[in-house]
Amino acid sequence: MAEATQANKVSLREALRLNGRALGLLWKERPQLILSMALSSAAGSLAPYIGIFFSARILNELSGARDAQTLARLVFWALIVAALWALTQGAARRWCECERASLHFLCGKIHNFPMLRMDFARVDDSHTHDLRSQIAQNQNWGGWGLYQVYFSLEDSLKALAQVAGAVALSVSLFTLSVPESAGALTALNHPAFILLLIAAMLGTTALAPLLSYRADQYWLRSAENVKEGNRFFGFAFSLVGLSKNWLDVRTYRQERYIAPILNILIDKLCKPDSWIARRGRGAMGLLMAASASISHLFTALVYGFVCLKAYGGAFGIGSVTQYIGAITSLSGGLSALLRALGIARNNAAFLRATFEYLDLPSEMRQGTLTVEKRNDRKYEIELRDVSFRYPGSEVWALRHVNLSFRIGERLAVVGENGSGKTTFIKLLCRLYDPTEGEIRLNGIDIRKYRYDEYLSLFSVVFQDFQLLAFPLGQNVAASAHFDAARATACLEEAGFGERLRAWKQGLNTALHRDFDPEGVEVSGGEAQKIALARALYKDAPFIVLDEPTAALDPVAEAEVYTNFNKIVGDKTAVFISHRLSSCRFCDEIAVFDQGRVVQKGAHDALVRQEGGKYRELWQAQAQYYANEASQD
Amino acid sequence: MEDAKQTARPQYGMGQNVLYMLRTAWRTRKSVIALCAAQALLSVASAAVGMFFAPAALGAIETGAPLARLLGIIGAFSLALLLLGALAAYASANTEFGRIQVRMELFSRTMHKSATTALANAENPAFQEKSAKANAAMNSNAAAAEAIWDTLRQILENALGFLLYLSLLTALDPLLVAVTLATSAAGFFSAHRILGWGYRHRREEEKPLKRMEYVLNQAKNTALGKDLRIFSMRPWIEEVFSSARRAYHSFHARAGKRYFLADAIDALLALARNGIAYAYLIAKTLSGELTVAEFLLYFSAISGFTTWVTGILSSFTTLHRQSLELSTIREFWAYPEPLPLEGGETPPALRPGDACALELRDVSFRYPGAEKDVLSHINLTIAPGEKLAIVGLNGAGKTTLVKLLCGFYDPTGGEVRLNGRNIRPYNRPAYQALLGAVYQNFSLVPASIAQNVAQDLESFDRARVQNCLERAGLGNKIRSLPHGMDTHLVKEVYEDAEELSGGELQRLMLARALYKDAPILVLDEPTAALDPIAESDIYQKYREMTVGRTSIYISHRLASTRFCDRILLLADGKIAEEGTHEALMAKGGEYARLFEIQSRYYREGGEDDGGSNASE
Repeated sequence: MAEATQANKVSLREALRLNGRALGLLWKERPQLILSMALSSAAGSLAPYIGIFFSARILNELSGARDAQTLARLVFWALIVAALWALTQGAARRWCECERASLHFLCGKIHNFPMLRMDFARVDDSHTHDLRSQIAQNQNWGGWGLYQVYFSLEDSLKALAQVAGAVALSVSLFTLSVPESAGALTALNHPAFILLLIAAMLGTTALAPLLSYRADQYWLRSAENVKEGNRFFGFAFSLVGLSKNWLDVRTYRQERYIAPILNILIDKLCKPDSWIARRGRGAMGLLMAASASISHLFTALVYGFVCLKAYGGAFGIGSVTQYIGAITSLSGGLSALLRALGIARNNAAFLRATFEYLDLPSEMRQGTLTVEKRNDRKYEIELRDVSFRYPGSEVWALRHVNLSFRIGERLAVVGENGSGKTTFIKLLCRLYDPTEGEIRLNGIDIRKYRYDEYLSLFSVVFQDFQLLAFPLGQNVAASAHFDAARATACLEEAGFGERLRAWKQGLNTALHRDFDPEGVEVSGGEAQKIALARALYKDAPFIVLDEPTAALDPVAEAEVYTNFNKIVGDKTAVFISHRLSSCRFCDEIAVFDQGRVVQKGAHDALVRQEGGKYRELWQAQAQYYANEASQD
Repeated sequence: MEDAKQTARPQYGMGQNVLYMLRTAWRTRKSVIALCAAQALLSVASAAVGMFFAPAALGAIETGAPLARLLGIIGAFSLALLLLGALAAYASANTEFGRIQVRMELFSRTMHKSATTALANAENPAFQEKSAKANAAMNSNAAAAEAIWDTLRQILENALGFLLYLSLLTALDPLLVAVTLATSAAGFFSAHRILGWGYRHRREEEKPLKRMEYVLNQAKNTALGKDLRIFSMRPWIEEVFSSARRAYHSFHARAGKRYFLADAIDALLALARNGIAYAYLIAKTLSGELTVAEFLLYFSAISGFTTWVTGILSSFTTLHRQSLELSTIREFWAYPEPLPLEGGETPPALRPGDACALELRDVSFRYPGAEKDVLSHINLTIAPGEKLAIVGLNGAGKTTLVKLLCGFYDPTGGEVRLNGRNIRPYNRPAYQALLGAVYQNFSLVPASIAQNVAQDLESFDRARVQNCLERAGLGNKIRSLPHGMDTHLVKEVYEDAEELSGGELQRLMLARALYKDAPILVLDEPTAALDPIAESDIYQKYREMTVGRTSIYISHRLASTRFCDRILLLADGKIAEEGTHEALMAKGGEYARLFEIQSRYYREGGEDDGGSNASE
């Protein structure tokens, strides 16, 4: 609670800057969103004044000359203007609602799409995701952040329009004077009363929102308390909802955790003796009550002044209703404006988080060289004394790695978990840049190349590859348009041909059922073949496979290995696998241990090295397949 | 096109649901009901006082009453409004807490259902859809489970206001009242019909909506980030989003155009109503039956009355909608369970070392809606203390068989028996207490390592946890942590949580199974992600763990089954081969063939060895 961090004082100037910048983002994304909202706000706020204006005139006429024709004319105009305004207001409102429907998604786009362009090192950094989920939490819990900017602007514009209309209708309150015949009441004509009224109005206007702003602060402080409870709550959802947990949850009766988890949240969020509930009964409730009372005090004052002036004969009783209506609306509008601005100011603190995230620097796209397209695929890649540490980690994931590739070579990369294999791959395809040392392509540091040019050299099947819930052909081509013949050929090579022929819609079959009830839920093995086909479709000179057969059964696995040479063709291949048996057909094997390459060579040579890591790994797997002499 | 599919009638009616919420609130937090009633009363009182304020003051001016009287009127009314307003604000500052607590009650029950429901339900798309709808009805302040209180308050408020104003207006011509009622109702019902267009066509809205949500989620997916950059998928994804957004926008534009019709109708009706009201009241005023102040009073009363009428109608519409959502929640809770989760017979209390014989007698199983049996006429007996390995290709039915043995499903044909008794009538949680399991996927709870091992938040045996951790091979790791076994797990919840590697998590699950110390052990090979050395070590641990227990071990890698007494090869839903490893190799059938394929590369001589001089 001591860290009421989000409510840290943001200076007025910074609040303006942040809100302005956020508004710019929304405007750039969709100007109609803002325009429609402005129009609808103005039309809505000004509508009540039509009634006030005309009914005042009608009342004045009724208490005055009572001319039937005048009355008829006033009623006619009252009805027509009201009807026309209602139509305009309706049209504006529907336009605004139509645009507003997309607000949630546009905010989502503004927040999530940057991840598509960031340096991968950033995307992989938990700090980035922390910032992102902080933004999401702010939005879910109270609509704070970019979302609120829209609504703050809307509230402000509504209030401004309300004030403008009120001023127009109340000016004459001060210009019309009490006639001499009223005696003592002529004192009301004194400008001091105008000042008194204005002072009271400003006082009310400022005080009421201030009080409710103070009340809101309690919610902000409570948010900090509730953070941990929210995390528990969110986790409880995945505990119960993720299919991977189902068997365990039942076997170990994990439903027993639900009640305690919910209690953690409930205790902080709403129990009668929670911090916030006590404040609700106490300070917060009283502040809100005081805030509401203040405006009634002001209303009393307005009634007094206006009625007395009318009593003295300055204007008719119809005008009384107009002035009372206009002044209370003016005060209300000013209060609303101040409140909206207060919220916008509070929101600035949350916008800080938004911009901290959006302003995360991306440094990898500074190279400019293009990669020469070579038909002979003679690309030489060399790692020179490369060392790497993940951001924020003290541990070296790779240390002094020296490696170069021969063209058309098959390199196997083996080692225990955590030895640096996957990190090596990520550096090779420049998802990260080395901390020390450099990687060279054809003799030039790869940082000098244009990022997407360099990446175009690689086809990779990662261990945690992803396929999207769209047609098979699109997934193989990684694009909305695909060459059917080429895609089919690649799928055949990956061993998926038979499955493909069995699917009625062929390449147009959707993967997963998210968008197409006819979609197919592919098994782990099938998915791996599709990912392989995708890598083949790209036809890049380097092909990298990280555990390409982990999900395949022995028969399918054997098929892949048998065809491996054919599949890979004249490309240079890098191949990570735990199944050491797969190393037998690679030209060279690099053995990683704790971030270093400890052995390099062909299988036959390495397996004979006594005390070597490779031999140790090999024995661990081969023991089960050795002579029957081995028994439990 | 409108949705041809009509939603089924809800199982629980509006009255039932309102009563249910009232009972729940009474049980959980009575203040919710009290505050609703208080807010409604205060609101109506405020409106009434407000309505009389101006006419009273104007009346005093019009009749030339003494100044003191005018000031007195102003003072009294202002004070009344002030008190009512302050009380109302205080009340509404306090409503949320109780309402959230009531909503949490519903949540708790829903989560409990999701967590304990039979597996067949959890995997059923119809159940999943019900679950999603139930959750949507509870997942925010604006959702039915909490917003219903506002609706109830509004109904009360509107009804009281209606009655109050009705009594006031009966002093006028009843025809006027009738006209007001008629125009309000007409406006409401036509608007209701028109504005329902969006709901009737919501499936059309859902398609682009789901696409946009999918893309937004995938954009955050770190694993996708790698593929996305390597394969330049960004334009593809961005295009999917843009076209979905355009479709979504066009849907809403069409809706907006229709809704404008409702606005037009409203404007027309308002014109008619106000026109009649003006005409009538002005005539009465001109003829002297009404004072000007009274004109104002009645004119405001008529607009106020319109608001109450529309308010009642719209509140009931909202209540109807919210009731549908509440009905969905209660229907979810009442979703039938195919297995005995509560009640049922108690299985025997077996301890490790007690004889546990499992049998599958002519068991067949078919997933709901599937065309073929996954398992077909399986006959299998597992003797007490036997270690059985089940192998087979992907899709052969291994995991399904295990789920049947563990009582997660009931077979569609035949029986599963424990020590000769059919397990179908057994209470399933009690039956599952006899199983220690390490499945392919596992779930951690946000608690300490020790609590995850013991699966108990309150009390556990520290020494025993320590022992199990040691036996699982985690002793050193635990000692290396500053808080040892009290270190938190699950980083999504605890910032200081430890992230264990794949191998360490495997061992943790082993420790958990060891702690449970159940007479039957099920191990579904979860070593796919482990390196050879870690894998080898885990196999060793399995060997130790399965001593003296009836154990079932599922595997892909034929070699890892060597520590089992008997091996079962499943193919096409049947037991293809059965026997010890040596027997199966000697037989030279499918098992031998698979083994040869896997072992090919590990033998000296390389891949061309046809196996003829394989030393088996």
